[in-house]
Amino acid sequence: MPFFYILCGTAFGFVLSRSGAADYDMVQGMFLLTNVQLYGIIGTAVVLTAPGLWLLEKHGKTLFGKKLTIETKPRHKGNIVGGVLFGIGWSLTGMCPGPILVNVGEGKLYALAALAGALVGAALFGKLYAPLAKKLGLPPI
Amino acid sequence: MLITHHLLAWPWALGGAGVAFVTLLLLFVSGRRLGVSGGLDAVCSYALRAPYFQLRGLLDARSFRAQFLLGLLLGGFLSAVLGGGFSPSWDMGIFDQFVGWGPMGKVAWMFVGGSFIGFGTRMAGGCTSGHGIFGISHFEGAGLVSTLAYMGAGMVTTNLIYRVVLGAF
Repeated sequence: MPFFYILCGTAFGFVLSRSGAADYDMVQGMFLLTNVQLYGIIGTAVVLTAPGLWLLEKHGKTLFGKKLTIETKPRHKGNIVGGVLFGIGWSLTGMCPGPILVNVGEGKLYALAALAGALVGAALFGKLYAPLAKKLGLPPI
Repeated sequence: MLITHHLLAWPWALGGAGVAFVTLLLLFVSGRRLGVSGGLDAVCSYALRAPYFQLRGLLDARSFRAQFLLGLLLGGFLSAVLGGGFSPSWDMGIFDQFVGWGPMGKVAWMFVGGSFIGFGTRMAGGCTSGHGIFGISHFEGAGLVSTLAYMGAGMVTTNLIYRVVLGAF
């Protein structure tokens, strides 16, 4: 469903762009506790998504009748250590991964450097996976 | 007000409803779980041969992930075009006001920040979308713990930069 995935991404990116979720100042305002915008977005999203997920999981089938199951993400030490590292990066750049792409699309030139950094960071993590997995209890390869 | 064309931001309830709508639509139509940072692995998997990037699950999902990332890019582009035109810029809001670095400084700052994002989200197993929105909505411990970790670290970092070091607020 190539067309569908691109469309979902486009809609998601447009919403992030216009709601302020990809805006450097709004993100700093969230972390400074001077702007409620992002708490409102995330809060509303969770309040609406949670019952939707519950209903869809109960329904158990996709629109096309395929089996619908939701895998739960594993709990490990990486959630905390990685979460802290990500939080530092989110604060420095004012972007989480989705908004990096959104900002590039908007024409924010510095976002290209954030994208390059994010890919290098992910590549480095992949290279170091085996030793890190042992230390942090990540799922084995 | 947004940095992009000084547009007025949507009310947060509309933004949140939009996020929820796409999340549920994606799941109901394709059975896919929302998540952006996995897309970083997907992009890496096209170029890197490390075992981590050749896992079955990653390869099965990478086409979907790459297309979703492409869509995010298009969404930002469309937002700029419809909001006043596509005009590339270095504008960075309060960073310009209180830090005031030029393009080269911003590139260095962003590359460092970006690498924290790439390394950290992959270690945590998700980001704001997969752990925050989807994970918490699915009542997952990993989602809640990760979200507390990145929100806490973000608050400490931004407050260190703008309140402690720069004395801006």
